[in-house]
Amino acid sequence: MEAGGASVRRAWTRLDRDQATIDDVHTEEDGFTTEVLKEQRAAGIDVVTDGQVRWDDAQTYWARGIEGFDVTGLIRWFDTNTYYRQPVLKSAPKWAHPIAAHDLEYAKSQTDLPVKAVITGPYTLAKLSLDEHYGDLQKFTFALAEVLNQEAKALEALGPAMIQFDEPAIVRPGNEGDQAIFEQAMRVLTAGLSTKTALYTYFGGVGRLDASRIFALPFDVVGLDFWMGPENWDALESFPAEKELGLGIVDARNTKLESVDEIVEGVKRAVGHVSADRIHVNPSCGLEFLPRDRARAKLLRLGEATARAREALS
Amino acid sequence: MADPVLLTTSVGSFPKPDYITKARAEASRGRMPRSELQGLEQKATEEWIRFQEDLGVDILVDGEMYRGDMAAYFAENLEGFELGGAVRSYGNRYYQKPIAIGEVRRPNSITVEWWQYAQSLTEKPVKGMLTGPYTIADWSFDEHYGSREDFVMALADVIHAEAMDLQAAGAQYIQIDEPAISVRPEEFGIARRAFEVVTAGLSATTLTHICYGDFSTIYPAMLDLPVDNIDLEMANSGYVLLDSFRKAPFTKQLSMGVVDVHSHVMEPVEEVKAGILRGLELVPADRLLIDPDCGLKTRTVDEAKEKLRIVVQAVREVKQEKGLI
Repeated sequence: MEAGGASVRRAWTRLDRDQATIDDVHTEEDGFTTEVLKEQRAAGIDVVTDGQVRWDDAQTYWARGIEGFDVTGLIRWFDTNTYYRQPVLKSAPKWAHPIAAHDLEYAKSQTDLPVKAVITGPYTLAKLSLDEHYGDLQKFTFALAEVLNQEAKALEALGPAMIQFDEPAIVRPGNEGDQAIFEQAMRVLTAGLSTKTALYTYFGGVGRLDASRIFALPFDVVGLDFWMGPENWDALESFPAEKELGLGIVDARNTKLESVDEIVEGVKRAVGHVSADRIHVNPSCGLEFLPRDRARAKLLRLGEATARAREALS
Repeated sequence: MADPVLLTTSVGSFPKPDYITKARAEASRGRMPRSELQGLEQKATEEWIRFQEDLGVDILVDGEMYRGDMAAYFAENLEGFELGGAVRSYGNRYYQKPIAIGEVRRPNSITVEWWQYAQSLTEKPVKGMLTGPYTIADWSFDEHYGSREDFVMALADVIHAEAMDLQAAGAQYIQIDEPAISVRPEEFGIARRAFEVVTAGLSATTLTHICYGDFSTIYPAMLDLPVDNIDLEMANSGYVLLDSFRKAPFTKQLSMGVVDVHSHVMEPVEEVKAGILRGLELVPADRLLIDPDCGLKTRTVDEAKEKLRIVVQAVREVKQEKGLI
């Protein structure tokens, strides 16, 4: 995810003042999507995203698209200083129409690189919402898993390179007791999908969980954050040979720029546990927490370091 | 004379009148001299002091007409920081998050002149307002220290020096806000040690405002903070926090937020009175202060004034009905 472009922000401000229409905003969002796709290409990124430039935040983008939710007051998103409007579940959630289809289609039309789709996972979505309907985390999470499974199938039809599900909440302290619910929900979520899938965790490590069971879930790729979850290095000992690793090796929460050497070292360290052809090198989480210039600089470093590591390992 | 009961105050910020918002934008583009902006900020500060006095608020604030973001304001006035590009706060709201690029140092006092100015306008006490080291660190990027603890402790020394200067200038109340303190419960120990550094040697009454987090994870641990008064938002959560006080009694002074600052809706006075009475069941009147949930800067000027009026009116009626004069 990219911190908003100035043109998109200005369009929203004009809309607030009744000087622009929502179509004007969407035009700017499309333009900004094209821009971030170009930036990813320039940085040498192999699998790109639309930059999630239309997301207000990772919760409401989905909650507004699913029937059954209201969206209310601001609260802090995990331990960031970024806030989201909390979704409140009022009735059983229903998938009425594709939510992210336009974004994916538009991004695909603007690049010949493989584009991955990103969906906030059902557990994180449930955990950060208020449940006024079920009063039961398991029921709520399963219901959302079914809804998002329908969304994933709709996106799958558009031919993404991969569908990535983000589940930061499962690695946060205190949530380890939910592992069984989480695992079942992930099976519901991925049922019947044939596209490559990824489970991305961040803002913590899998150390409090039974990591081998997380790795065994029905995803092709498992993404781990090696900045906020340094214990993930230990967990790599049991990383299954048939899985691919999302190596969150560039710190997306701090502006301090890693050197190419540092990143290359990190990649080499991972190669000790996972074969190089099964590693995706990526930031530790979305880049929206950084100012634009720093986010770009980090992407460039990431691309450069990955090219260097490839050379060294070939 | 009996101890004062149910004193009223504010958490810190008030909304900036339009002429300040415009002047700040002009000044940031270099189209208005700093001195002219400062004159307007003084005018707005005086207006807020008069408003609080006329309303009968007991402990005043200067309203922070001259501050932008509560953490960035300190970073802007310290050596060792630069301001980064915009990052999102929420929706279409962005702010410039500070970046620590070197040793943090305080070349001059930051808030003392403004405090002196505000205090010169009134006989009522005006609070000295600081942002705590843990919050400044948590809301900044760190390219220098490499350890959150080292970064926080360096800021603790700086904020301590500022607090001592405020006290030397005559501040009777010094508030050190730590809204980020409840976000990472595992770092509460660091935040507490930093707070000890900040308040060491202070004889002024100290306060801290904590908000937007999961209190259950740091209560009753927060009672170990070396501070006289803890200011907590209650209205926006329907006073659920009071339930934890039944399990572990609240042992300090409590500043209790009784109006939601993020809502345009004006609370009926009766509802606010009911909230105050719930607080009185658990904290005695001479240890209970009443205020809005948080800084009022995100409301319009009229909304903020009305919210404060409701707070003062509700306290007045509760005092009368309970014979607490």
